[in-house]
Amino acid sequence: MSARSVSIMIVVALMMALHFTLRPVLDWRAGVDFLTIAVLVVAVRVRPGVAALVGFAVGIVADALAPESFGAGALAMTIVGFAASRLKAAFFADNVLINAVFVFVGKVAFDLIFIVAERRLGGSGLAWQLLLWTPLSAVLTALVGLFVMSVVRPTLERRRG
Amino acid sequence: MPRGARTDTRADTAIAAACALVALILLVLPDAPRARTAGLVRGTLVAPLVTLQQRASLARRAFSSHDSLVLIADSVLRRSQRLDEVTSENVRLRGLLRLSETIRWDFVPAEALVGRGLGDDNTVLLSAGARSGVKRLSAVVATDGLVGMVQHVDANSSVAMVWPNPELRVSATSADGTAFGIVTAHQGPGAEGYLLELRGVSFRSKLPLGSVVVSSGLGGVYPRGIPIGVVIEELRGTAGWERSYLLRPAVRPPDVTSVLILQPGNTAGLDSVWRAQPDSSRPR
Repeated sequence: MSARSVSIMIVVALMMALHFTLRPVLDWRAGVDFLTIAVLVVAVRVRPGVAALVGFAVGIVADALAPESFGAGALAMTIVGFAASRLKAAFFADNVLINAVFVFVGKVAFDLIFIVAERRLGGSGLAWQLLLWTPLSAVLTALVGLFVMSVVRPTLERRRG
Repeated sequence: MPRGARTDTRADTAIAAACALVALILLVLPDAPRARTAGLVRGTLVAPLVTLQQRASLARRAFSSHDSLVLIADSVLRRSQRLDEVTSENVRLRGLLRLSETIRWDFVPAEALVGRGLGDDNTVLLSAGARSGVKRLSAVVATDGLVGMVQHVDANSSVAMVWPNPELRVSATSADGTAFGIVTAHQGPGAEGYLLELRGVSFRSKLPLGSVVVSSGLGGVYPRGIPIGVVIEELRGTAGWERSYLLRPAVRPPDVTSVLILQPGNTAGLDSVWRAQPDSSRPR
């Protein structure tokens, strides 16, 4: 296994650890989604098939804690990971703003697919989720994602070079 | 596009399609195999992460309630200094009156790991499982009243269905025992979605606003006397031979941190626990 792969795995493990430690501590209704950040960080550095696999695995982990929607997170993360990896050439650039938009769109897409697959929310609950909580959570996720990408990029790029 | 690159693209698409298909199959699986699969993942791959989440929740609670905990510890210490004397006196008096031992209920204390994400509204992860004696279909209560029911049990954790879950049904009665019905989550718009509904009350049993509704003990899952909510409105538009009421729940699941999982069996007299707490279920 290459040093770069190990670095990517460490970043994913760190994001997952933060998701299950920092998120409960902050306990925000619109929290930072570290799992989406992890999938996006990986997706832009691997092939689309691998990104889909990583997304599926991360989604299953998240789903296991909320069995009512078991499978919805895996489906959403698979699609987000695959799409992010396919679109990386178009969207993932050195521009900071574009990176932030990339994470924002990734999180919104995840929530949309999750809600549709889960088929639980409806009416005003769905409207509140899509118009308030999802955008708020996506903005926070984008800000944190930007920070994470700026921290891990030099390490991962150096290992690739 | 070179042939190699095209093959790679096809392989990527095939892998993604396979992952999506497996996820879809998991989504449409019947409850039992889906719960078993989720339990398997929770008990193996996710177990260390659940432990991490549990520690983090405990740390947050310790940080946010440190001052009040110190006060409680002080008062408990003061009371415990008199406890031995009171206990021995109680035993002596019960012996004189020829009463049996006080009733004891079996329960398992647990931490509730409440998530705030999508899909976390209907269930809560509990930090006790089969190894602690937790059984499926056990009632889960907090200091203020009913939280829900254990749905899946793993070795070291369990998943409880909480009352916003539309599948949860509780046989209920008014605290004075004059009206009976079934409590479910109220499927109303906006903030009303966070309320409960008491259905199927006979037309002659009119409940005044502010009436406390407790579990009736019928059905064998929820022992009698656990506070469920308080009547805040009579719902109109129901059939003429029954009444329905909107209830403000005694417990808000997102605020729950510690719970007791009641063991099925000897729960007689449990209602005295909440009767002795005049503040529980009182409008706030």
